[in-house]
Amino acid sequence: MLPVDTTQLLKGVLDLAVLAVLRDEDGYGYDILRRLRTSGLTEVGDASVYGTLRRLFNAGLLSTYVVPSVEGPHRKYYALNAAGRGELQRSGKIWQDFASTMDDLLRERETA
Amino acid sequence: MKPTAQDEITAYVFAVRAALGDLPEAVREEMLQDLTEHLTEVMADGEGSLVDRLGSPEVYAAELRNSTPFVGGFPDPPPARHKPFVGLRDQVTPSLSENLQKVREQILPPLRVADVRLGKVMGYERASDFFALLRPAWWVLRGYLVAMILAAALDDGGQPIGLLPRIGGSDAVALMLLAAAVLASIWFGRRVTRLPRWPRFGLYAGSAVLAMVALAGFFDADSTKRDSYYSDVNYDNPYSSVEDVFVYDAEGRLVTGARLFDQEGQPIHLGNAYCHDEQGTYVDAESDVYPYCPSKAPFLMPGVRPSESSEPSASKSARAKPSATPSR
Repeated sequence: MLPVDTTQLLKGVLDLAVLAVLRDEDGYGYDILRRLRTSGLTEVGDASVYGTLRRLFNAGLLSTYVVPSVEGPHRKYYALNAAGRGELQRSGKIWQDFASTMDDLLRERETA
Repeated sequence: MKPTAQDEITAYVFAVRAALGDLPEAVREEMLQDLTEHLTEVMADGEGSLVDRLGSPEVYAAELRNSTPFVGGFPDPPPARHKPFVGLRDQVTPSLSENLQKVREQILPPLRVADVRLGKVMGYERASDFFALLRPAWWVLRGYLVAMILAAALDDGGQPIGLLPRIGGSDAVALMLLAAAVLASIWFGRRVTRLPRWPRFGLYAGSAVLAMVALAGFFDADSTKRDSYYSDVNYDNPYSSVEDVFVYDAEGRLVTGARLFDQEGQPIHLGNAYCHDEQGTYVDAESDVYPYCPSKAPFLMPGVRPSESSEPSASKSARAKPSATPSR
């Protein structure tokens, strides 16, 4: 069998991960990348996050606002809107079911 | 913001755009819309060059290209993100684009089935696989057609062009023009997918026009070949206007009942083997025996009217005045 590839797994759940890190606090692109990496998704790339944010925004799950900065450039902040929160809840549930199914499967195999 | 940093960002975005050059323009620009802004934030948030921190623009472009599609319960992405008509579809009203979608759904599946079935007959997985192999052949033909059209436009029309793109009847010019046009066509053929959307559509449309010109040229050449017999008679044969033949002997007498033969002993057919007599009545004449209408002879002895029956008196009277010259 093919070895499990983190990059491939990440592809499937990056949208959900981005929604999740925006649940409690709005963020701008590079800030969101840092949060994902700090949380342990160390292999996630800047382009993936940038692309994901654009797609989620186009899908109507995020809203944006620009925060002026005194020294640096203006920053474009992303925030979950109502649709985004709903999506986070639904997809989060799907993931949790999936993950717990996988956990059970792996546990059974280990004890068998 | 230092100018150098701005330059670095501009160069990076430029390189990413180039690496995504094969995507339809609308898709690519949509992807890159916020990139300059985003990279500016990245630059401001840490040390080091963009390439050091994000990798090469090519790698960045590849990652962007592969950035995840929606999964699970997520809403579907806009349906044709990576298809060439996305820009067009965005412009039309939703109901129209839905109708287009329905038409596509109705037309495409039967086409795919036909593709596979026809492919089996031809010994390929799909018929389109076979036609894809013919693409370079089309490039060569397209070059030839362009050369022919150029020649037709540039030639002064002094002599017929023929089947080579001659300008002023020159074979050397024809061959050089042909070689240049074919090479250019191949060059475009190999690069068409990298062109932006509208130039690409322009090339396709031009190719379609060329195909129609080619068809018209083919039918023209075909009919010219088939009609050559008639064109010989009508245009090339100096005897095509001959209706009758009058033979005079050395003494200026009209010879009746004359027969003409070529060097092979084949009778020579000239004119029309019939005659309208004085009353205007149509009379069939014996073919290949000239003249058909002796009464119409252009030169007549005075007082003599040779008739079809060739009366002895006519020849006698003609003999009686050997010095007589034709009256007209």
